[in-house]
Amino acid sequence: MSRRLFILKSVLWALVGVLGTVTVARFVHGLGAVSNLSDAAPWGLWIGFDVMGGVALAAGGFVLAATVYIFGLERYRPFVRPAILTAFLGYAAVAAGLLYDLGLPWHIWHPIVYWQYHSVLFEVAACVMLYLTVLALEFAPVVLEHPRFAHPWLRKVLHGLKRATIPLVIAGITLSTLHQSSLGSLFLITPYRLHPLWYSPYMYGLFLVSAVGLGLMTVVLESALAKHFLGHQVHADALAGLGKAAAVVLLSYAALRLGDLALRGVLADTFGRSWHTTLFVAELGVSAIVPGGLLLLKRVRSSLAGLTFCAALTVVGMVWYRLDVSIVAFARREGLGYFPSWMEFAVSLGIVAGAALIFIFFVERFRVYDEGSLQVPAEPPSFDPATPHNLLPRKVAAVERFSVVAVAAAALTVLLLPDAASLGAEPGRTPVAAARTVDGLAGPRVEKKRHLVLAAEARRPGGGPVVPLLLIDGNRNGDAVLLDHRHHVERLGGDSSCGGCHHLDVPYDRQTACVACHRDMYEPTDVFVHASHIEALHGNAGCVKCHPASEGPKLRTTATACRECHAALAAEGSLIALPHDRWAPAAGYVDAMHGLCRDCHRRKKLAEPERWSDTLDRCDTCHDPDRAGDLRQMAPDVHPRTVTRGSGAGEIAAGGRRPGAASGGAR
Amino acid sequence: MTDTVAILNDTTRCTGCEECVAACKKENGLGRDHPWRGQGSVSDLSSSRYCTILHQPGQHNVRQQCRHCLEPACVSACLVGAMQKTPEGPVIYDPDRCMGCRYCVAACPFGIPRYDWHERVPYVKKCTMCLPLLREGKRPACVEACPEEATIFGLRTEMLAEAHRRIAAAPDRYLPIVYGEHEVGGTSVLYISDIPLDFLAWKPNLGSEPLPQLTASALHKVPPTILAVGGLMTGIYWVIGRRMRLAAEAARGTETEQDPEARGAP
Repeated sequence: MSRRLFILKSVLWALVGVLGTVTVARFVHGLGAVSNLSDAAPWGLWIGFDVMGGVALAAGGFVLAATVYIFGLERYRPFVRPAILTAFLGYAAVAAGLLYDLGLPWHIWHPIVYWQYHSVLFEVAACVMLYLTVLALEFAPVVLEHPRFAHPWLRKVLHGLKRATIPLVIAGITLSTLHQSSLGSLFLITPYRLHPLWYSPYMYGLFLVSAVGLGLMTVVLESALAKHFLGHQVHADALAGLGKAAAVVLLSYAALRLGDLALRGVLADTFGRSWHTTLFVAELGVSAIVPGGLLLLKRVRSSLAGLTFCAALTVVGMVWYRLDVSIVAFARREGLGYFPSWMEFAVSLGIVAGAALIFIFFVERFRVYDEGSLQVPAEPPSFDPATPHNLLPRKVAAVERFSVVAVAAAALTVLLLPDAASLGAEPGRTPVAAARTVDGLAGPRVEKKRHLVLAAEARRPGGGPVVPLLLIDGNRNGDAVLLDHRHHVERLGGDSSCGGCHHLDVPYDRQTACVACHRDMYEPTDVFVHASHIEALHGNAGCVKCHPASEGPKLRTTATACRECHAALAAEGSLIALPHDRWAPAAGYVDAMHGLCRDCHRRKKLAEPERWSDTLDRCDTCHDPDRAGDLRQMAPDVHPRTVTRGSGAGEIAAGGRRPGAASGGAR
Repeated sequence: MTDTVAILNDTTRCTGCEECVAACKKENGLGRDHPWRGQGSVSDLSSSRYCTILHQPGQHNVRQQCRHCLEPACVSACLVGAMQKTPEGPVIYDPDRCMGCRYCVAACPFGIPRYDWHERVPYVKKCTMCLPLLREGKRPACVEACPEEATIFGLRTEMLAEAHRRIAAAPDRYLPIVYGEHEVGGTSVLYISDIPLDFLAWKPNLGSEPLPQLTASALHKVPPTILAVGGLMTGIYWVIGRRMRLAAEAARGTETEQDPEARGAP
């Protein structure tokens, strides 16, 4: 084994070791523990890189299969087997990445059973599953032709598979065309989230063309890597041919993309308006224009270094394109960013490393590349000695270098895991403005409530003793509230009452919000309908009509008395006794009538909800809002005749008016 | 087509008391808020908060909740049919089908569905318009709880009529649009307001085209693509293969003339 290959394998095994540890954390503690995903970024690196990028990078398989088997360009045949193997491993990596990304990975088989063919993702899933099968069948002959599998039945299978090559290739091309493009169609449904420089009604076309260009360049890059690490010869002429084809495809992709944006007027509208433009230009340059332009030069095409450079640019750029579409240019609310956690990178890299190791395994043992002859090895084919079954005691399996590397990397990763990954994800603390002590004035108690004001802002100095108050974000909504902490302690029962608000043992929550106890401020009163007053007084601008004091609690007792506006409500000077030895104006005719009808309406509704309409105790049952609240004209037989549910707007409709009153209400 | 149900929110009546949020939490058994990163504030929608009040500057309070679109993007996006549009109108979620791909979260134009990020077994969470209550003949919990009648419930046609009636009765109090009447093909949660409600969606000026139609146009091309690509490849293979065979035969023919012994060669 060459030194280069040894280093490469060590690095790959180390990445696989890291992946192992992160895998445990991912499946023990869930998505949130290892990833930075959130509702703002539902799709992250695993979708953007592993799925979107993985499928695109595997495009070499169908492009080369078409070139050689369909178009009969025999000089590209040496590339077919590695390209098919790469495609197979690429799709397997996509499936592996999905297992990490899906919230319920044990449901990954659901698309086989539940068909929702209006979904683009269903098309993608179906194509990926079918194409993975096709690729396995296309690659199977490479394995079966090995002298170890010389059993006559296996030979028959091999013969059958070879005969089926052309149908398989055609099926593979069709399936690839469909889902390479439908990965673009996935985003057709998000015109409001994806930035206009990336959104296009023809995204499927752009994805397909770019995948073809990328597929060609992946094959080139792979050949260069195989030469560097595995010492395989390169077919310079054929590589140059691939470069030439890639140049045409990449430049057509750039032209299509720019032309589409220009023709739809997007370029004129959005170009140069935000940082997206820079991103767009850089991405398109790296992915297509620069490599495409360079490959037009014969000098670049004929040198392996030049080809490799262009291929690397394209690979980086096209994966970048997919990442832009699925993550970077996908709208999030301001200030809610997403950057993958190192564990997300570890999973992505680990899967790629694993695929690369399997690739090397096949290259070393089967005739993936053309040269060399096959011999029956002394040992049966097996994975490198670092496979899990060799991570057993020394007696069972000798410890080898790669095992040590992988295990050491896994162990090191355990040390690096953040708390969330090792102990489980916990929602963040609620952002709360820090509490601070301020001087305040506590006013007298009014209806069980005390009005607290900042001493510095009190308009009438000397309204009471200055007391220390807490200014807290009590409802955790960013609004500061004054809290008389001492008073709460006294009222709630001294030192033993702390737990009422500060319960340190409750997960996800560090204190009880004010609203948990103080929820009564908007409780509707018996007769008074706040909403209708707001309406009559023109919305929020009308508050001061009844609540003239801008400071102080807005209570019934501090509000303008009803009779200030409704002079006819009560007979002059008549008073009645209320609970707590307070006196109030006696109910006038209106209140009396309300008491007469409304109490009964409410009682009936509560007692027999199935019999009476939900609106029985509402104002508009008797009053006609269209006629300034006048009483509806009742048909003589409406009251007390029963008005039952269901006689009106339908089974579950409940907001409508009482049907019997409609004749009077209509004008 | 039978009429579906709808909720009409009158933001000018909402005092922002959040009784609806409390009722929603109680009805759906959501418990305390679990704020998760990626949430702007604790009062954002989350997997433990299906509806919330967005307090806007100037005492404007707007309730945010699932819009139960007439042609929902989430339903069309879900590849296993876990998101379903019920005949009554509400859009509901079937956790037994869900794979957890979160395409629905990405597809929603209003950013409504939320995910249980902190759970080992996470599900998508969103408002169901209290479908179990509706089927009992009751109203959604949030509507029932509203002390100001800022949110009312009924058949969609009636709610639309009521919205237009209110706007016509007080044209200076409302903007002259019913938000949700036409947006993305119409929604089952309608708003009338005195402030623009563009902040409720990812972009202002949502078109009236239902989002599923955008993907339908691409999906309609799938069967023709299968036939076209499959047919084209078969055709090319046949044509090129035949040419090569003819060329080979011609070459062999000339060879045969020169060297008759070569005939037996493979």
